Amino acid sequence: MLNVKDRDLVIPGQLLGSDLFYDINCFTENGSVFSCVEGMVRVDGKKVKMVPSNGVYLPKRDDVVIGVISDVLVGKWLVDINSPYLCAMRAEEVSRDAAKKDLSQFFKVGEIITAKVADVDEVYSCQLIKPWKVEAGLIIDVGPKRVPRVVGKQKSMLNMIRDKTGSRIIVGQNGKIWLKGGNVDLAVSTIKRIEKYAQTQGLTDQIAELLDKESAAAGGRFAREEPCSCGHEEEHAENDSF
Amino acid sequence: MSGGDNDVVLIKGNKRLDGRGFDELRDIKMEVSVLERAEGSAYIEWGKNRVIVGVYGPRELHPKFLQDPTRAMLRCVYNLAPFSVDERKKPGPDRRSVEISKVCAEALSSVVMLERFPNTVIDVYVEVLQADAGTRCAGLTAASLALADAGIPMKDLVAACSAGKVQGQIVVDLMKEEDNFGQCDLPMAIIPRKSEVVLLQMDGKLSRDEFKQAYKMAVDGCMKVYEMQKNTLLGSMNKFVGVEGGVENGD
Repeated sequence: MLNVKDRDLVIPGQLLGSDLFYDINCFTENGSVFSCVEGMVRVDGKKVKMVPSNGVYLPKRDDVVIGVISDVLVGKWLVDINSPYLCAMRAEEVSRDAAKKDLSQFFKVGEIITAKVADVDEVYSCQLIKPWKVEAGLIIDVGPKRVPRVVGKQKSMLNMIRDKTGSRIIVGQNGKIWLKGGNVDLAVSTIKRIEKYAQTQGLTDQIAELLDKESAAAGGRFAREEPCSCGHEEEHAENDSF
Repeated sequence: MSGGDNDVVLIKGNKRLDGRGFDELRDIKMEVSVLERAEGSAYIEWGKNRVIVGVYGPRELHPKFLQDPTRAMLRCVYNLAPFSVDERKKPGPDRRSVEISKVCAEALSSVVMLERFPNTVIDVYVEVLQADAGTRCAGLTAASLALADAGIPMKDLVAACSAGKVQGQIVVDLMKEEDNFGQCDLPMAIIPRKSEVVLLQMDGKLSRDEFKQAYKMAVDGCMKVYEMQKNTLLGSMNKFVGVEGGVENGD
């Protein structure tokens, strides 16, 4: 039985219904399902799912993230990935005989990398693999819970922004987005707009219209640059939003 | 509370000093997401009380030996600003604010799903900018809004309200004069969904029957506060789903 409709706004502790399948943003008590965050509820038959409006990033396997090297240790780096938990990255990711080398010749403290989350355990300690050093461009912050909308269904939104602004973009699932080349200003303002109105219906179409209008005003399209060799630009974990 | 000074007239006819009935709350205004840098925040105006709350975290807990791999830690800091009261308050923690910080942290811990964030800490800063009795209730109410705004999983909100005894009459939501010259103050916080009590303190004396009446009035007050909290949170999400403002014109 359902107590809410699809796309209803709910607050923590609100009754969603009983005898339902639910996700991590809900909890159950005596057979009834409640929401535990504020946000929008999505209903699909007997499945309910909460789309939270805010929250911190918790590392998940296969996510591409953008992080800052926060410490160089013996045989590994510690990386700040905009989450309550630091991530470790093993020296073997960049060198076969890492034990003999000083790791700061590869990545120093304060340098920015994009990498992929390999393993996460129950207390969220995790390993990063396939690092790529970010050396130019711009990094912006968006709410980690709103990143799926920036990427869009099958990357529709992201590819559209790339096409229409000509920018190279890497979206970290942790809420950090790297941009370089093309009409960066337009790309940034578009992403900020997507973040603000994240769950508007028909958002992709509205953004497409807006991008056309503003890129024409900015003097036509930019040619898109070649993507980097790391593959992170194409490697976004499939977005799990509806 | 000065133990009930009978010379001061606090109730005239069936009205209190500010014209409220016995079961009426003061005017309450709430707002969320007022701070840019905090994970979540809330501001509340409750009569003449002005309270702002910022929530930081979950974030890494230092020193490391305090980390608990089974759950997060919730810390609360209640602070009265030096200019919040009539006579300048010496800044810094004192006996009263340490106690209030502790009871607020415990009240909030009972709703926040701390087991979701092992080894971390959630910091709640309650800053009272202007005080007029009932600041811990206002602080707790705003703190639970700020936690919800930060997207921290909670089983329910916490709604708080006080009741008390003034000139032999049980009233709800005491203001400063009633608190100072009344006979009893009973601040209370509940989890509205189950009417579970998470904070109950009493300063002064009540008979058993008076307590029952005050308890009931405080619960009713909390329920009214809860409705306001609910509306505030729902209203704050209008942009998120595009009900308010448009992608086209909103910037």
